[in-house]
Amino acid sequence: MSPFRFSSSALDTLALQREMRDESCGGFASFEGWVRNHNEGHAVTRLEYEAFAELAEKDGSRIVNEAIARFGATRAACVHRVGSLGLGDVAVWVGVSAAHRDEAFRACRVIIDEVKHRLPIWKKEHYVNGDSGWVNCERCAMPGAHTHEHEHEHAHHPHVHVPTPDYSRQIALREVGPEGQARLRSASVLVVGAGGLGVPVLQYLAGAGVGRLSIIDADRLEPSNLHRQTWYALSECGQEKSTLAATRVSALNPEVRVEAHALRLDAHNAERLCAGHDLILDCSDNFTTKFLLNDLALRTGKPVLFASVYQYEGQLQLVRGDDATACLRCVWPEATRDGIVGNCAEAGVLGPVPGVFGSLQALEALKHLLGLPGLKPDEMLIFDLITLSTQRLRARRQPECEAHRRAASSAPLQAPDELEVQFSSLADAASAGFAFVDVRDSREREAEPLPAGALHLPMSKLLTDAATLDLAGRYLLICATGKRSAAAAGLLRSQGFAECRSLRGGLKSLKASA
Amino acid sequence: MAELAPPERTIRVQYYALLREQAGRSDETLTTGARDPRELYAELRARYPFTLPPEMLRVAINAEFGEWSQPLKAGDAVVFIPPVAGG
Repeated sequence: MSPFRFSSSALDTLALQREMRDESCGGFASFEGWVRNHNEGHAVTRLEYEAFAELAEKDGSRIVNEAIARFGATRAACVHRVGSLGLGDVAVWVGVSAAHRDEAFRACRVIIDEVKHRLPIWKKEHYVNGDSGWVNCERCAMPGAHTHEHEHEHAHHPHVHVPTPDYSRQIALREVGPEGQARLRSASVLVVGAGGLGVPVLQYLAGAGVGRLSIIDADRLEPSNLHRQTWYALSECGQEKSTLAATRVSALNPEVRVEAHALRLDAHNAERLCAGHDLILDCSDNFTTKFLLNDLALRTGKPVLFASVYQYEGQLQLVRGDDATACLRCVWPEATRDGIVGNCAEAGVLGPVPGVFGSLQALEALKHLLGLPGLKPDEMLIFDLITLSTQRLRARRQPECEAHRRAASSAPLQAPDELEVQFSSLADAASAGFAFVDVRDSREREAEPLPAGALHLPMSKLLTDAATLDLAGRYLLICATGKRSAAAAGLLRSQGFAECRSLRGGLKSLKASA
Repeated sequence: MAELAPPERTIRVQYYALLREQAGRSDETLTTGARDPRELYAELRARYPFTLPPEMLRVAINAEFGEWSQPLKAGDAVVFIPPVAGG
């Protein structure tokens, strides 16, 4: 008996159950799908099932055999009705026998889910009002794809066959082969940003069968995104991009394990979110995130592939995260920060530009995972899409690189523009290059003095005496709990002291961590 | 006596991002007496409305990121490039 088959007559479930009998089995689980009298608010009187039998039988048998192998079941079968059914008739039957109940239950559940999800079977519902409609294949009921198609359209149903992922066209490449495909399947990639760059990146990595994709994006879709983020729909504006992207990834390739994080990467969550990934792709649109990922690469030795675009051009750089090769900070001036050179919103961008760079990023990522040659550390690819000229600029690890120095001193991770920074001791803060500014009043200072050399600038005199500070100085403002110092740092920032920060949690946090 | 003017050299210059926008061109070949990229950029700032100070840019000479004080030779290809962050 074929593990999966169609029947045009009523199912004899007792006979089917007998086929599952086996003396080695201690348990039998079955599922029956019945014709019910309503669907989505319509009263239903009867049903007709139609299937693409030849394909469905092959795929259905594969589903049953996979479940037997996966759960160690002894016997399993699935029979699906076609033709006309009345209310209460059994439309689909699944039976599994196994040594123990757990395998039987689980295999049964997976078989019915996969059959509903993957097989080209449609049902035509006849409603009380005399109307009728073709519904289902379960994929049609997925968000955004639901159509209530009517009878005359069913012959042109767009979902004639729902195939399983097939990587044959890339496995055919000598450099990929089954081994390369297995490498991709076992890879885990973090994509930071699901916008202009992130969309092509996610499309190609999902298509290629990268085993696990995590997506971080704090933004919600806006109509102004769509000229370059052409994966999304106008009707989805207002929704979280991370969730939309994850849904698209699953639709493109259900084999990919996908996670969506609707949040902004910061110094406190970065290590946790990046853990467990082999490669990080920076598809963000701001320097704060880029430099944070750069610091993370140097700290963890995890490679980050950066891409950035501007109007008609862009830059691509691989930071390997070691001490020998250039990082983002080895290339760009210390003064680099958001708001100086303009992002897509400020400077404008033609849609395909991030498309090209995201595609290049996906290509480099796949090559990296497959161990193929590509962009080298110590070089930056720049591509001018007006003149179509490319350049590979050689960069060098700068001996005085601040990011490399911080990573070596294992100073805590910090985003360059973050106002607050955490340390477990003042000695750590001093070794990270901070000069201390005590903003407490004189009584507090006497009770608990800071190390010699700390400047005293009580809140009351902050603005009048700020002139004594160096505009480019790297100051750590300190108070008892971190509240006053945070306010003071904000105030000084607005006066142009770009490098001043506040000790998060104040002196109290140091006592707690001691 | 006035210091001897440095010899004029022909140099290829490429502009990226905001600089390309402000120069209104991607590249040009020019004859200059500038001895290093710093002088060259100062000369170009007199001609184009460049808003970025050199501290915000990097210069690359013959496809290698270089220093602002690195001497220029005839035939050098000089790239002025700011960091970009669009995504």
